[in-house]
Amino acid sequence: MFLEVKQLSKSFQKDLIVDRLSLSLDQHRTLSILGRSGCGKTTLLKLIAGLETADQGSIWVNGEEMSGKTPAERKIVYLYQEDLLFPHLTVRGNIGFGLKLQKVAPSQIAEQVDLMIERLELQGQGDKMPQQLSGGQRQRVSFGRAIITNPRLLLLDEPFGSLDVGTRQRMQELFKELAAIYGITSLFVTHDLKEAILMGDDIGLMKKGSLQIYSDKQDFLLDPQTGVRSEIEFWESLLKPNY
Amino acid sequence: MKSKPTFGLLFFFLLGLLPFVAALIYALLYSLGIVGILSEGASISYWRQVFQSGELIGSFLYSALLAGIGVALSVSLALLVSMGLRTSLQHRFWSLLIYFPLAIPGMVASFLSIQLLSKAGFFSRISMKMGWIDSLQQFPDWINDSYGIGIILTFVLIVSPFFVILFSNVYQNERVSELSTLAYSLGARSNQVFWKVTLPILFSKTKRIMILYFIFLLGSYEIPLVLGQESPQMLSVLIIRELKQFDLKLIPEGYVIAVAYTVVIAVSALLVFRRREVQVHE
Repeated sequence: MFLEVKQLSKSFQKDLIVDRLSLSLDQHRTLSILGRSGCGKTTLLKLIAGLETADQGSIWVNGEEMSGKTPAERKIVYLYQEDLLFPHLTVRGNIGFGLKLQKVAPSQIAEQVDLMIERLELQGQGDKMPQQLSGGQRQRVSFGRAIITNPRLLLLDEPFGSLDVGTRQRMQELFKELAAIYGITSLFVTHDLKEAILMGDDIGLMKKGSLQIYSDKQDFLLDPQTGVRSEIEFWESLLKPNY
Repeated sequence: MKSKPTFGLLFFFLLGLLPFVAALIYALLYSLGIVGILSEGASISYWRQVFQSGELIGSFLYSALLAGIGVALSVSLALLVSMGLRTSLQHRFWSLLIYFPLAIPGMVASFLSIQLLSKAGFFSRISMKMGWIDSLQQFPDWINDSYGIGIILTFVLIVSPFFVILFSNVYQNERVSELSTLAYSLGARSNQVFWKVTLPILFSKTKRIMILYFIFLLGSYEIPLVLGQESPQMLSVLIIRELKQFDLKLIPEGYVIAVAYTVVIAVSALLVFRRREVQVHE
């Protein structure tokens, strides 16, 4: 397994946020994690990224233990819920930020950034500042900035939560395209049922700090806890003639 | 609903711009010998005299140097304090302590500096008690000295608290903490986060205020009056000295310096602040 999380726990003061959580994920696959606000999704991602320290348990990436490693050493990128861009850098500067940190040659940075701008469908926007972009454009830049560094693992924390329906759908398609092109391994956290089903190769449900991973999507659809069945019943009731 | 902005503009013109322009025109006419008690008719001789003496250029460079060093030291100290004591500054006691020096007038700060920094002052006596110097006379000249050390230190005393508050607010408002976490996640080390994220964001959001403070210190009067030396003098002190001299025939020279100073600052400010804000496309 490429990613293995074993018996991970984290408390803040007396609140147990992540409770002996275990998961595993193969390379080049995306695991969707569905969960309500406050269920511990963000904390789980931050623990894996090294932005929080676990109370117990271990995280392994490609056979390498991550505890004690700084976020930079882990080569795991955590993508925020919001389109958080560096306000002092242009679109080009934002996308190339990680490559600059890796001391990649400027000519190569320019080449890779141009290619990424094209893939993100942001042609002609490269020299704009973040405040000149729309929400969807900012989120695309944020994506490109994370993916261009070729992270071992990408952690997406409700990345489309603030977007309108149309933009959200386009971003979901774009992410799937980019994930295929760059061979991304990722954890995709969302509270949106449809998004969780659409985005993940594998799917899990997080509740009160614990994670249940389903062997296939059919199991997920049939489990009453996921809310899929009640959702289907709701839409079916609308189609009934006596409604 | 155009009446409000129009009224505001009129108000600004009448109370803000008109008196300033009128004063500038009066000073220009005085400097050209057109108005004034002993006016002898239009002439550029006063301008020629001022520029030939070199005192204006010397005073301008001296003022710019002291104001520049004052702002640079204040900004550096404020960065150290605001970043180093980020959590502590949220406590009421520390924030009050930082606000306190902002309430000290320039004249009071100058006399405070004399009490602290002069040869007979607090630090001199402490140094002697500690055995670092044998007599008070050995304490370095920091008041009315040729390097303007007393002036610079007093500038730092009154300016740096403002920048501490400013940097702390910008740090919070621009979400530098989250951006730093993001940079760590993208592979940055601590020093890279500071130089490539924290510092550029703080500077890009406050550079205009730094320039305004530079202009403010360039024209400061009380502190260089009390703590400065005879020559060179900072601009405002020089202007007042020229305007109040015995020989009434030489008063236009004071106006020459005032007009030249105002024009240089106004043009520089226009050049610095002319860049328009970028538009947001949502």
